[in-house]
Amino acid sequence: MNRHYEIGFVIDPEAAEEDVKKVIDSVVEIVKKANGNIENVDEWGRRRLAYSIHGHHEGIYTFITVNMKGAVFFEIERRLKLNEKVMRFIINRLDDKMKKANRLTKKWKRMERLSKRTAEEDTIEAEISDEKEEEDHE
Amino acid sequence: MSNQNSSSAPSGRYQKKFYFSRRKYCIFCKDKIKLIDYKNYKMLENFTLETGKILPARVTGTCSLHQKQLSKAIKRARHMAFIKFVEPKRG
Repeated sequence: MNRHYEIGFVIDPEAAEEDVKKVIDSVVEIVKKANGNIENVDEWGRRRLAYSIHGHHEGIYTFITVNMKGAVFFEIERRLKLNEKVMRFIINRLDDKMKKANRLTKKWKRMERLSKRTAEEDTIEAEISDEKEEEDHE
Repeated sequence: MSNQNSSSAPSGRYQKKFYFSRRKYCIFCKDKIKLIDYKNYKMLENFTLETGKILPARVTGTCSLHQKQLSKAIKRARHMAFIKFVEPKRG
């Protein structure tokens, strides 16, 4: 079963452009070999880091969204771990059909139902309180 | 909710309060966000203190389901050096 994943990594700022391309190509190759689809390659380029990593204050960011089997995950992870130019990497699922997203949609439906019911009750309560006030004044 | 007619005596449990605070609500539920993205780090910084600590849900008003996602997103953003780790307060 194919699923959507997002792979992001930060590359050493001293690395040449070719090295960056090599890393991207290696990931793309692995995914294509396992019959996966590359949906988007997003190159952010050089960015300032929030804290220094290995004495560097900058990093080259790239994000690749991918549709692949879950087992390919480990292959990509291994490759990125071995590469010394990759300072940080992250792989996570992007599906809207995930459990946590499903729970949210259920919750919103429940909330809608509740809000409708409370709105009806409020109108009834308001009518009752109006009647009471009139009685008090009398 | 409040009685505009001041002459009538207060009735009901909500009317014992004499101050009104604006009710907090979950910002993510309002915008119907299903998954919180860690790349949106400028938004995540609104939910951290200056020291980098994650603000509790009781302060920000986010619902528990979103707070779980939010804390995870902040931790991912820290790992990718988008936002700082917790630092001691200076001075």
